[in-house]
Amino acid sequence: MAGPGQSEGDQLHTVVSDYMSPRRILAGRALLWFAAAVLFVTAVIQALYTWDRIAFGFENWRPVLYAFIFWGTALCVAQVLVRGEQGKRVLFVLPAVLFVVSMVVFPILFGLYISFTDWNLASPTGPKFNGLDNFRQMSGDPFYWNALKNMVYYVLAVSVEYAIAFGLALLLNAQVRARKFFRVAFLLPLMLSPVAVSWMVGKSMLEVRFGPLANLARFLGWENPSFFSSPEIARLSIMVMDAWTFIPFMMVMILAGLQALPKEVLEAAKIDGAKPWQGFWQVTFPLMLPVSITAIVIRIIFKLKLADIIINVTSGGPGGATDSVTSFIFREYRDRSNVGYGTLLAMIYLVLIIIFVTSLLKVASRWTRQFNQEGAG
Amino acid sequence: MKLDVYERLMAAQINRRNMLKGAASAGAIAAGASTGLGGLMGSAFAQSSLRAEMLNIPGVGVGSPTDSDWQKVGALTLEATKKNVAEGEFADVELTFLGLNNQNLHNFLFRGFLKPWEAYTGAKINWIDLAQADYNARLQQSIATSTVDFDIIEMGAPFEGDVLGKGLASEMPEWVREQIDMDDYVDYLKAPVGTWGGKTYRVSIDGDCHNFNYRTDYFADADLAAAWAAEGNEGPWEVPNTWQKVQAVTKFLKGKKIGRFDTNGYLDPLKGWGGFGFYFLGSRATAYAKHPDDADWLFDAETMKPRVNNPAWVRAIQDVLDVLDAQPADQLNADPGTTGFQQFLAGTGSMLSWWGDIGSNAKTSDSSVVGDDVAFSILPGSDDVYNAKTGQWDTLASGPNYAPNMAYIGWGIYVMARVDSDAKKQKAAWSAAAHVGGKDISLWTAAYPSGFQPYRTSHFNIPEWVGSGYDEGFISNYLASQLDSYNHPNAAIEPRIPGIFQYYSVAEDELAKIYAARSDAQEGADRIAAAWDKITDQIGRESQIELYKASLGN
Repeated sequence: MAGPGQSEGDQLHTVVSDYMSPRRILAGRALLWFAAAVLFVTAVIQALYTWDRIAFGFENWRPVLYAFIFWGTALCVAQVLVRGEQGKRVLFVLPAVLFVVSMVVFPILFGLYISFTDWNLASPTGPKFNGLDNFRQMSGDPFYWNALKNMVYYVLAVSVEYAIAFGLALLLNAQVRARKFFRVAFLLPLMLSPVAVSWMVGKSMLEVRFGPLANLARFLGWENPSFFSSPEIARLSIMVMDAWTFIPFMMVMILAGLQALPKEVLEAAKIDGAKPWQGFWQVTFPLMLPVSITAIVIRIIFKLKLADIIINVTSGGPGGATDSVTSFIFREYRDRSNVGYGTLLAMIYLVLIIIFVTSLLKVASRWTRQFNQEGAG
Repeated sequence: MKLDVYERLMAAQINRRNMLKGAASAGAIAAGASTGLGGLMGSAFAQSSLRAEMLNIPGVGVGSPTDSDWQKVGALTLEATKKNVAEGEFADVELTFLGLNNQNLHNFLFRGFLKPWEAYTGAKINWIDLAQADYNARLQQSIATSTVDFDIIEMGAPFEGDVLGKGLASEMPEWVREQIDMDDYVDYLKAPVGTWGGKTYRVSIDGDCHNFNYRTDYFADADLAAAWAAEGNEGPWEVPNTWQKVQAVTKFLKGKKIGRFDTNGYLDPLKGWGGFGFYFLGSRATAYAKHPDDADWLFDAETMKPRVNNPAWVRAIQDVLDVLDAQPADQLNADPGTTGFQQFLAGTGSMLSWWGDIGSNAKTSDSSVVGDDVAFSILPGSDDVYNAKTGQWDTLASGPNYAPNMAYIGWGIYVMARVDSDAKKQKAAWSAAAHVGGKDISLWTAAYPSGFQPYRTSHFNIPEWVGSGYDEGFISNYLASQLDSYNHPNAAIEPRIPGIFQYYSVAEDELAKIYAARSDAQEGADRIAAAWDKITDQIGRESQIELYKASLGN
């Protein structure tokens, strides 16, 4: 049954009468304005108190947070009071929006502000707006550019990881003996914390004097094995440890894709006389492209966050050869309390990541389409 | 005493016969007391029954102390508190104590010590436990965001610039000074350390310095001595007492053997350690850079101009570069923890600068292969010392210039200024700090696992240690290397200015680049100086100069 104020389009979905008295609407608006006033007054008082403009205020900003929660709740209640059924529908989304705004959007805006300040925690004067100075400092910071260059190497290594992961997935998808055991065994490195990998592998197994891998290297004829002394070998060692941890992740995604492939297509190819390599390259690989791209993109996103192994094993050395952007920002932030500059570096990195991943997805989707069209042709 | 030191010592506890032998040799040690320890030995007989009773909790050799032991020690040493505080005086007072919760004992220990204090005074203590790695960031954030949420803090002296310099700490009342007997502190922990603007803020609970650890078997080896002479090296084959000799010995030892093992000389940690790695270049540099006539050695106090690129520091960096080839493989990835625990203890290398605990670990560690072949001294000196005022290298009439590096200056207890508005709370906080840093309780922390080294003159009373079961020869040598450093007239004490670890951290990054690329020491040092200038300007040059002078007691 449609209420008197109900539009026709909503008739099918309406199950209750939704008449709203003017008093109810007024009460809803009053509640909202009251809550907004409380939030505004609380925030202004606290801001003025913090800036030493007035003598009274709260001990901290917590009351402002409570006022925001009160305002958010009032906003939700007011939706129902003012808009009735429509307002109830809004409630499915509104709390989530408020939560995201307070937990994501606000911190990002605050972070943006910080990134344009000169803020060293040891400075007695606190944050000072310094325009583009941090950006200029970044432009001439050899450590940051070196870390970015290293990230290119690290990201390129994903292609090798992908090849290995695909190979392992094919093996596990085949009818091999103890397949279930190997599936679990291959997943084990992924279950380990990278910090544990740093210590178990980087600091113990690769230890030069007593590490078993060092001893093996000696046995194989490397007289003075050293896994972290030369820049290239150190970078390679970090890549290998990271790959060992995360190849299983790509492998399991590809394996899931392989298992979901329609068997009829593969069998049809076989009947048409396709050799194993042709079957893989002309049928399996193209069909697996969407899964592969997802796996690669997610892996690259993981890779761009690479820091824990580096911090624990090499601290970015020797001479910055293994430094990642995140491990450099970590040092800038934690060891040097350089909050303004560190935040700018993180923001720029975020922008670079967004641009890179968006472009990657675009190129990948175009390439997939092209590949499929060629395949179809 | 550090927990691991204690455990190693206990693992290698002497037998009764050795103890008797040790007692018999007391006279000989006293006679050779160049360290000043001998003079203290007579006071053994004045050892109070309280201290003797306390040192038997739980008793050396019966396992590591537990919470009940800490509480017993806390209760036994409560007399000093009772003189200043009435029973139940702080009945409704709550205090928050921020301290460390890492592998040493720190806050765990304080909890036990303060439990009887809480029972007696009626106060309640809430605890904030932090891992050492999180400590600096947490403290800096609290200061920068004006959210100091603790009343008492366990803090290292290098952070005094950040805390005392910003007026965040409470001045020590006179009665606390008397209760804890501050005159008993070793010289370098006396003012200006712990003071700011002439006011005292710190209850010391620890002392720190780098000393020189060396392998005695290397320098008693006849084959090495013969080879040293055969190669035409200057002087006899002996423990080097200057950095010039350390360099010569390190280069000489490359490619040699001792028994069937390869030899290595001095071990340089070449990888950063969150800023702490810079102390190790400092230990090489102080003999060159710390002139007896000049209190400054890291910065010019008048301008905050870094000295890290002056000829003295560049020489120290060049020294490291000169012996890079003589270091063990993978040394570029060796941080101080590696050089100390995985190399020196495990038999790699013959000379090492480290805090006092490494040397004693080397003697008794289960994983150590160096056994008894280890001894300690103050850091090596230099035949000449750079005079920053004249720009010349001076040769002192007194011989080599020694300048022990008082790296980190030790932990202390500080009371925050936020308690000052409440007289009762302020007295309670200071009473708790005084209890933890009391004279008697400190002997127990020096002798048992605590995370703290000896730091009072009364801690160097050898018979007290021997009376509790320690080997006399070992403990004498162990303590002497520290006492000689602590009381050295030319000790290099780092500036207690805000952000000091930022300077160290950025220097570590640049040093790693210099070592990895074997690049020019002067150019690298200039880059460090430029980065330091940038930090100084960022924090505020004028305020840094002011705070530096304040930290020097000017």
